Amino acid sequence: MTCKCEDIKDCFVIEARMALPNQYFVGRIGSKWIIAMRDKKKLTGLKCDKCNITYVPPREHCNKCGATIADNWVDVGTTGEIVNFTIVNYNDKHLPKKAPYILGQIKLDGADTPLTHIVADVDPADVHVGMKVKAVFAEGPVNTLMQLDHFEPV
Amino acid sequence: MAEFFGTTVADIFNTMPKRFKPEASKGVDVVIGYDCGGEGGGKWKLTVKDQAARIETVEGDLGPCTATIIASDAETFIGVTLQKIGAIDALSQGKMKVIGDTRMLMTLLPQIFVQYTVPAKKTEVTARGILSAIGERFRPDKAAGVTLKYGYDLTGEGGGQFTITIANGTCTLKEGLDADLAVKMTMEAATYVGMMTGTIDGAAAFTSGKVRIDGDMMAAAATGKYFDKYVDPNAEEAEELLSLKKITSINQRFATGPVMGKWFAGLREKKLLASVCPVCRRTLILPQEICQFCHVRTKEYVELGPEGYVTNFDLVYFASPDPLSGEVRDTPYACAWIMLEGATPEDAFAFEIKKEDLPKLKIGSRVRPTWAEKPTGSFRDILYFEIID
Amino acid sequence: MKKHDKNRNVAIIGIGQTTLSSHKEDQNQVEMVNEAVKNALADANMTLDDIDCIVHGNMELFEMQFQPDMWHALDCGSYGKEEFRITTGGTVGATLVCASDSLVASGQYDTVLCLGFEKLQEGNTTGGITNMADPLWFRNLQTGALTSSTANEMIKEFGKERVLRAAMKYRIMIDKHAMLNERAHRRLGLEYDQLENLMETSPQLVGDLRLIHMCSQSDGACAMVLTNEDRVKKGTAKPPVWIRDHETSHRGENMSNLYGAQKPKSTHRDCAEKLFMRNGITNPLEYFDVFEMYDPSAFWGLDWLREFLLLKDDEVLKLMEANEFDLDGKLPVNPSGGVIASNPIGATAMLRPAEAALQIRGDAGGHQIKKEVRHALASGFGGTLWTVMLMLEKELNW
Repeated sequence: MTCKCEDIKDCFVIEARMALPNQYFVGRIGSKWIIAMRDKKKLTGLKCDKCNITYVPPREHCNKCGATIADNWVDVGTTGEIVNFTIVNYNDKHLPKKAPYILGQIKLDGADTPLTHIVADVDPADVHVGMKVKAVFAEGPVNTLMQLDHFEPV
Repeated sequence: MAEFFGTTVADIFNTMPKRFKPEASKGVDVVIGYDCGGEGGGKWKLTVKDQAARIETVEGDLGPCTATIIASDAETFIGVTLQKIGAIDALSQGKMKVIGDTRMLMTLLPQIFVQYTVPAKKTEVTARGILSAIGERFRPDKAAGVTLKYGYDLTGEGGGQFTITIANGTCTLKEGLDADLAVKMTMEAATYVGMMTGTIDGAAAFTSGKVRIDGDMMAAAATGKYFDKYVDPNAEEAEELLSLKKITSINQRFATGPVMGKWFAGLREKKLLASVCPVCRRTLILPQEICQFCHVRTKEYVELGPEGYVTNFDLVYFASPDPLSGEVRDTPYACAWIMLEGATPEDAFAFEIKKEDLPKLKIGSRVRPTWAEKPTGSFRDILYFEIID
Repeated sequence: MKKHDKNRNVAIIGIGQTTLSSHKEDQNQVEMVNEAVKNALADANMTLDDIDCIVHGNMELFEMQFQPDMWHALDCGSYGKEEFRITTGGTVGATLVCASDSLVASGQYDTVLCLGFEKLQEGNTTGGITNMADPLWFRNLQTGALTSSTANEMIKEFGKERVLRAAMKYRIMIDKHAMLNERAHRRLGLEYDQLENLMETSPQLVGDLRLIHMCSQSDGACAMVLTNEDRVKKGTAKPPVWIRDHETSHRGENMSNLYGAQKPKSTHRDCAEKLFMRNGITNPLEYFDVFEMYDPSAFWGLDWLREFLLLKDDEVLKLMEANEFDLDGKLPVNPSGGVIASNPIGATAMLRPAEAALQIRGDAGGHQIKKEVRHALASGFGGTLWTVMLMLEKELNW
């Protein structure tokens, strides 16, 4: 229903804000994964031996057969290949980087699932599926996914 | 002294000055008494004033305190401090009591003190031990093409002088300081160990003068990246669980529409307007477009109050964050339900009561609104309701 | 009376819970959700291949996690299946069961898995709840779920001493129940001789509402498998528990309008009247063998029993004073320890029918009621005025 003219004079728009503290427990598996990046500069994954699938990021159980694989850690390479990507062309305060930047899906050597992360040090015009990239780790402790700072071309 | 969870009550208090956050204690002026019973207990008094904290042990009476925290035994006190025992459980079971302002325990203390942690067990790590194994941590891939010679002059117990040479993709260590060092770092051996095991922050140690750097500053800063991080071999492998903490802040805009808008327009003229159901004659405050019972559109408005009487109220001691600002509210405060003059019996109006009037607030109190000097059509136009009888 | 017939009967055949605790730092959300789903499937001796549809829910804003259903797709089993997401505040767990019941009863799906979860330690619950108030008004006054308004009303009606004693007795009774439930989060070991001491020493939160009266903030998840009568006839791993009927009742008032000169009929009473009339229950206190009630605080627990059981005057206080809500009383209330002991909000209202069903099956373990449980009642509560009730039966004979 559209407003009648006389109604609109009493329409207000109120500016408001909501500020809520929160935290996220990464869990035992997620913590191990990030700590291996931080302390050993290594990328790891969880492997289902039965289905021969290595999950990166690690998952508690195999998504194919449902078996619990929480302890079956394997090392994967710090290099891999871009299997898909997008170029972020707009700026927003919630985004991790200034536009334009590349968000790639990288299948690491030895992994079977792609890891989504930032690809840097390459012109957006040159990025392509099949491009070989390597992981660049953050220097200090970050304790989030950004412990792996970005990927760059090999 | 009695030890629980690997530490003592005394250590919690002794580390308080170190854990104090002066910048977070602006305007805080409190005295908190602690009375911990049983073996390993005692009495302590914490004074926070002018952004300084003083802790003292007390014999006999604690004297006047803003709040007193009483624990039945040392195990409870330490357990709650370390969050091994839930504070709510201890309070509920009567093993812990808070006399006075409970806000201290829930909101103030965590703000002005860094959380206490059990001191790390002493390990056999020495500066010499760390340096002698430096070759194992060397990363030739990171140091490709790098030629660098740098030295450590480590003073105090367990100290010594060492020269590290990086060249041709190898790393060698020898005792003594060569003359042609690119950079020399001088510090106490204990500081070096602390930096390597992560208990001392390198940048902070340098800033505070604990580390002296002679020579090429950039070379000194670069040394870390030619090596894997040192892993303390003697440290117990405690499981580290990560969590991500953040404050999600979202800007919002709300359109009032013409009915709710009438309310805000009314506020500008210091009027409390309700919409009236044409069928059941209920006064809907704040005004609503539809009567939920009769399912008809409301068309007319009526001014209610401004005076009324209190039907129910919440006197709030628990300090929760104001969701609009994120700031913790001052307690106590009261939210009262008010029957405004002219309102139908099931339709109360809720608002805050003037702070100074809280002692005389009771069900049945007559109240009237106090308005802001210049109402603008916002929820801040009414300051509070004051008691008039 | 509105028609509420089912095309076919529906039974609960699988129940899975995680433990309920204040912190689950070692498990992330998806892993916790998966634990409940796995437990429910194991209980039903089924695999995900047997599930046709997933109904997923929690209370938005509590973890500040947008669209958790997408994130959980692989772990709650919804990948490749149909999924509904429901979020109705505190009632969400109960609404998930009602919706699943209707989805199976309609004939659209044969077997449905519903899942409710919450990790309250990941967010700011009181901050989240205050945001349910009108954004333009009252949000800055709201105290979350902490209110002494019900205590005030009861005190006005029955006198302060009697109400405060009865509420603390209710609280201690609930703790005694929780002590028998290994999964419960807060198990304090309270004794009735502590009653007076607790009335004085437990920290005051709001008015006469003290810390001890209030529910916990927990992490945990619950999942249930519901299927139709034909499938049940082919045999089930555990005895089926039939969902006889459910009802939802709500009103449009805001919290800020609640306490006028005249008290409106509560949604609890309204809901109970509709449900009982439709099913020919004239004396709920006699009919039901157990009641798992959504009781966010001791005052609400006591006041709401009066509404749900359609009691008059001070009957509820008399029953409380005579220990009739104990495990061996006339109508055992919250053998599990209820919401006061464990409150992972998105799972809380599902834990009520789940625990009631376990009582019917005789599988409740330490907190199993000694006498046979044939008829069970469960309730959920949320928003300011939103009530859900479910009736569960051991036998398909009504």
